[in-house]
Amino acid sequence: MTSPTGEVYRIDWLPGTDVLHGTCHCGAEHTAEDPVEMWEWMLGHPEGHPEGHPEGPPEGPPEGHQQRGNDS
Amino acid sequence: MTAFARNQWYVAAYSHEVGREELLGRTILGEPLVFYRTEEDGAPVVLHDRCVHRRYPLSESRLDGDRIVCGYHGFTYDTTGACVYVPGQKRIPRTARVTSYPVVEQDSLVWVWIGDPTLADPQTIPRARHLDSPGWTTVRGMEPIDADYGLLVDNLLDLSHETYLHGGYIGTPEVARTPITTEVDEGAGIVRVSRRMDDAECPPFYARSTGIEGRITRWQDIEYHAPCLYLLHSRIAPVGVLPEADGSDPNGFHTEITYAITPSAEGEVYDFWMVSRDWETEDTEVTEFIRGNNHTVVMQDVDALNLLQRTLGSERTGYQELSINIDTGGLAARRILARLVEEGDKPVEKVQ
Repeated sequence: MTSPTGEVYRIDWLPGTDVLHGTCHCGAEHTAEDPVEMWEWMLGHPEGHPEGHPEGPPEGPPEGHQQRGNDS
Repeated sequence: MTAFARNQWYVAAYSHEVGREELLGRTILGEPLVFYRTEEDGAPVVLHDRCVHRRYPLSESRLDGDRIVCGYHGFTYDTTGACVYVPGQKRIPRTARVTSYPVVEQDSLVWVWIGDPTLADPQTIPRARHLDSPGWTTVRGMEPIDADYGLLVDNLLDLSHETYLHGGYIGTPEVARTPITTEVDEGAGIVRVSRRMDDAECPPFYARSTGIEGRITRWQDIEYHAPCLYLLHSRIAPVGVLPEADGSDPNGFHTEITYAITPSAEGEVYDFWMVSRDWETEDTEVTEFIRGNNHTVVMQDVDALNLLQRTLGSERTGYQELSINIDTGGLAARRILARLVEEGDKPVEKVQ
């Protein structure tokens, strides 16, 4: 085990839906209805995470998460 | 089978299990170990549990001061594992030594490092301070399960099973139907799964122990420090009662459910379970109720995982699983474990 890096992936299951909403540590976002597909997308970073924000620039980093560049 | 992740700390025992009256034998990641305490300062000692002579288990032997005397032919070992006596001759063979293991006692748990001892850093052991902090009362137990440790990780990362496997105890309909949030801190090897129920039935486990009548706000925040330590921060309160603006929470009932998931051998895992609470801490009736009720819940999991392992063992090769939204956290845990396994298998210079 090592120290926290701030390299945090987050997946929210949107209430009232079957939709998963994923946010990569780079800020890129993605929706899916299958957790396997979601993790494949997430861990494909940086592939498929153009400019970090394929669904438009976010207004800010996700709450409680440190945003990082595409450095991993 | 989930491979073992070496170069990691594992909970091997509770503090109270390691003493001087009896030697404790336990197998961790396939390595047989013997545990005892030194006479002077009570420090825990962990040695390989096989005499170098004819492989007799040292845990079935006896202590002479701080030395273990093999119960078969009397080979005698000091706390470092060095053999200091063999019967009938003065010369002690140079190779007469059993491995000693890095050990740390912390938060009422005895942690052992399995892997390259030069990489063992006690600072990386995750904390569970509630286990021996003032203001908390803990009940605990340990159940061996004849199952791949990955099945226990799956079980604990997806609490929707509470609704079905533990109905009438800790499960209510709201658990399975409430969406979860999953976070993975890659570098720290931590998976967090959060389930917040705003208006839920109060399960008997909490209704009878807290005295809450009616519906509740129920939070389940999992923090899995792969590979071994699992923390479930549970908060319940009468429906709508939230923590104060200043962060204090005088009207919430906080329960810390802790597990140590320690692989023993292939297809065998030690399930260390602990339930700590910061309410009614002096009430022995509540303590005994929680101890008995939680033991029942743990045994429901043990029976289910024993059955599941036997069932998987009878499957033809190449079977498939199906994962849905509830598995988001479990899938993350599997992936982190796979990474730790890979790192633990690498030569030393590539680990860091």
